[in-house]
Amino acid sequence: MGLRKILDNVEPHFTKGGKFEKWFALYEMVDTIFYSPSSVTNTGAHVRDGIDLKRIMITVWMCAFPAMFYGWYNLGFQAYTIMADPILSGGVTEVGGWRGAILAMIAGTDPNSIWDCFWYGAAWGIPIYLTTFVVGGLWEVLFAIKRGHEVNEGFFVTSILFALTLPAEIPLWMVAMGISFGVVIGKEVFGGTGKNFLNPALTGRAFLFFAYPAHMSGDLIWTGVDGYTGATALSIAASDGMAALQQTLSWQDAFIGNMQGSIGEVSTLAILLGAVVLLMTKIASWRIIAGVMIGMVALSSLFNVVGSDSNPMFAVPWEWHLVLGGFAFGMVFMATDPVSASMTDMGKWIFGILIGVMVVLIRVVNPAFPEGMMLAILFANLFAPLIDHFVVQANIKRRLARV
Amino acid sequence: MSMKETLTNPIFNNNPIALQILGICSALAVTSSMQVSFVMCIALTTVCAFSNLFVSLIRNHIPNSVRIIVQMTIIASLVIVVDQVLKAFSYEISKQLSVFVGLIITNCIVMGRAEAFAMKYPPLPSFIDGLGNGLGYSFVLMAVAFVRELFGAGKMFGVEILPLATDGGWYIPNGLLLLPPSAFFLIGLLIWAIRAWKKDQVEAPDFKMAPNTVGSGSHSHS
Amino acid sequence: MSSSNDTIKKTITVTVLVCLFCSIVVSTAAVMLKPLQEKNIEQDMKRNILAAAGMFDAERDVDEQFASVETKVVELSSGTYTDVVDAATYVPRAAAKDPQMSEALSGSDDLAKIGRQEKYALVYLVNDDSGKLQTVILPVRGYGLWSTMHGFIALESDLQTVVGLGFYEHGETPGLGGEIDNPRWKAQWPGKQVFNSEGDVELGLIKGIVDTSRSGAEYQIDGLSGATLTSKGVTNLVHFWLGGKGYGPYLDNLKAGKT
Repeated sequence: MGLRKILDNVEPHFTKGGKFEKWFALYEMVDTIFYSPSSVTNTGAHVRDGIDLKRIMITVWMCAFPAMFYGWYNLGFQAYTIMADPILSGGVTEVGGWRGAILAMIAGTDPNSIWDCFWYGAAWGIPIYLTTFVVGGLWEVLFAIKRGHEVNEGFFVTSILFALTLPAEIPLWMVAMGISFGVVIGKEVFGGTGKNFLNPALTGRAFLFFAYPAHMSGDLIWTGVDGYTGATALSIAASDGMAALQQTLSWQDAFIGNMQGSIGEVSTLAILLGAVVLLMTKIASWRIIAGVMIGMVALSSLFNVVGSDSNPMFAVPWEWHLVLGGFAFGMVFMATDPVSASMTDMGKWIFGILIGVMVVLIRVVNPAFPEGMMLAILFANLFAPLIDHFVVQANIKRRLARV
Repeated sequence: MSMKETLTNPIFNNNPIALQILGICSALAVTSSMQVSFVMCIALTTVCAFSNLFVSLIRNHIPNSVRIIVQMTIIASLVIVVDQVLKAFSYEISKQLSVFVGLIITNCIVMGRAEAFAMKYPPLPSFIDGLGNGLGYSFVLMAVAFVRELFGAGKMFGVEILPLATDGGWYIPNGLLLLPPSAFFLIGLLIWAIRAWKKDQVEAPDFKMAPNTVGSGSHSHS
Repeated sequence: MSSSNDTIKKTITVTVLVCLFCSIVVSTAAVMLKPLQEKNIEQDMKRNILAAAGMFDAERDVDEQFASVETKVVELSSGTYTDVVDAATYVPRAAAKDPQMSEALSGSDDLAKIGRQEKYALVYLVNDDSGKLQTVILPVRGYGLWSTMHGFIALESDLQTVVGLGFYEHGETPGLGGEIDNPRWKAQWPGKQVFNSEGDVELGLIKGIVDTSRSGAEYQIDGLSGATLTSKGVTNLVHFWLGGKGYGPYLDNLKAGKT
């Protein structure tokens, strides 16, 4: 095989003592993308040991594709629907700037054309993803070279998840800052993939959320249509209540993803498609996903029963919590990140329930943030090692009692 | 140790915040503005230097059983005086510093230097040591405040440097830097930078992870 | 340290001497600096009041600028001036916590979510050179997202047109709700109208940007983007304090010329 030969020929230059010793990480990265590495995992998929997780990571990466593609289509559908209505759009009928120039060559502006809508979304989504990938990848390679470890494909996952949780109109320099923070502070300072206790994609998103709140939430940033104001479903539920929300959006639409939101988070259906693959391949822990659901259903039902005169979020039923905001995306892709979640079986249940409870708590009770999934998962990430500790201790005690 | 070393050592080699990780709370709270941080630095340096001086002056007479209380009394009195002076001559800033001037009393740096240095050395070196530690604290505080105010509000000492987009300029400020937790990240990065520069400050790792892979590790493919 | 230091006698002597010395230093400082400190507090308040009315000029002496301002005490329920409390020493914020001096608000009455409202309020009147009323400055407060926002709203002598609104104390999110301090946002207030044709308070923040071409824009202020609850809080406090539970009766009396 030609490629194998080339790689083998150049390898001596990259190994210890070779001309390009420093660049071994790069060589290894290219090599192992095409071939199985010679050193493979010893004891199962145990990310905390910084082992080779390439295959797993690529699967997760691909599982995010349905959500991404649907997100692109939906972005175009939302934008073109607005543009077709002169009152909604305020007179904006064309896609501006370089996006408009490119789109004019390949597609029209018909909201009923899947083709047109898809390319509109791609024109916003691809630059965000490319920026994430290039900037984040540079940090990865830099640290890999400096520290002499390998470039880990976990970054494939981090990059796509990060890019999909962003709103369409976010400036690309913010994307670059966010992923830099996520990779460096969320991961590399702790020693790289496997040693981080926070999910790097969410860390980067949290950074942007607090640093540039006006560009991460609000009414102006979701569709790419200049000057158009449209609240997300969650913020309508928070300010005007469920009745008002149901007038503009049916549950089916919300489930399929026909609404405004972060690019990859709108379609619960597409996300669940990815979830099926992740569960069948046993990459995602079903215990965590079940835990998140249980925690969310339990607390939101409790809030439904308790009720409130002044806070309309109390009345949001669990099936709406499931389809709104970043819940489904976070549950399937973020909470199940094996590095930052709990490791023990019992711990995974507790970890999941903690997330489910926290997300409803933040959404309903906290007045400042309409969305709580990101903060809930980061919060649970912090507790994951502690949960494991207690689970292990309890186990030891129980077994000692039997002796 | 020479006087000069006593003064300069705490700035880089033995920085109270960056190496000893003391006095973090006020470093988080007051550093969103350089002006406020600057006054805080002066206040803390003054208190630290003079408390060291006074403690050292009477160090041979302080009974061992009540030495901490005596030190605290001296420190607390100095802090109250500084607080009163600020309220009289720099009211705006004292309002922004609010409780944090008062909390110098509990600042571990001041207490630590009194106990660790002033109780053992003559007045002049003690005074210099207090000054040096105050400067070490100030160095970190001002560095953090510089980043936070410049990139969080586009200003330095209240003077506009980067015109904000909300005021018609071009700079979109980083709101995270206006929140206290950002100082954690900045101090962390600063510690990282200092330790990359002065390797002897790096602590030995508590443990080392064993590799969890099999195979030769050399990339010969079969 | 010699062991002779640890005798009871020495311990007590040293402790007493240290305490004595320290207390002298502290009390001297406190007493000597007190007049300066009180002047600072007073000037700070004056500056806040002037700034809210858009009259503050940093170049000029505060006291000199405040000379044209007259402070009066108003009984909120009747809307008339009173001398039950002395305007010079009365502290409304302390009174609002005192059950004797304030009353509890609940439910829909407590639009601004302040919990208790003082019975007497201070108002600041600015007269022109001929002694004619020019501006009324009213202290307002209300709960935003995280904190009670304290400020002043200033009205022209027609008691309908806003001169300015400013907050001197709040804990809203920097960059979002904190934008209530943004001079560009505050610049929208002067000239806005408070009461609609039915006499109800109409002035408030809307969602998004005010479209000046539409009718009703004279009552509208841009909402703070990304800060729904702070925006609501500002609207609520304006409605509360300029409405019937607040300065409403007083403003009516002032209009009718019978205070």
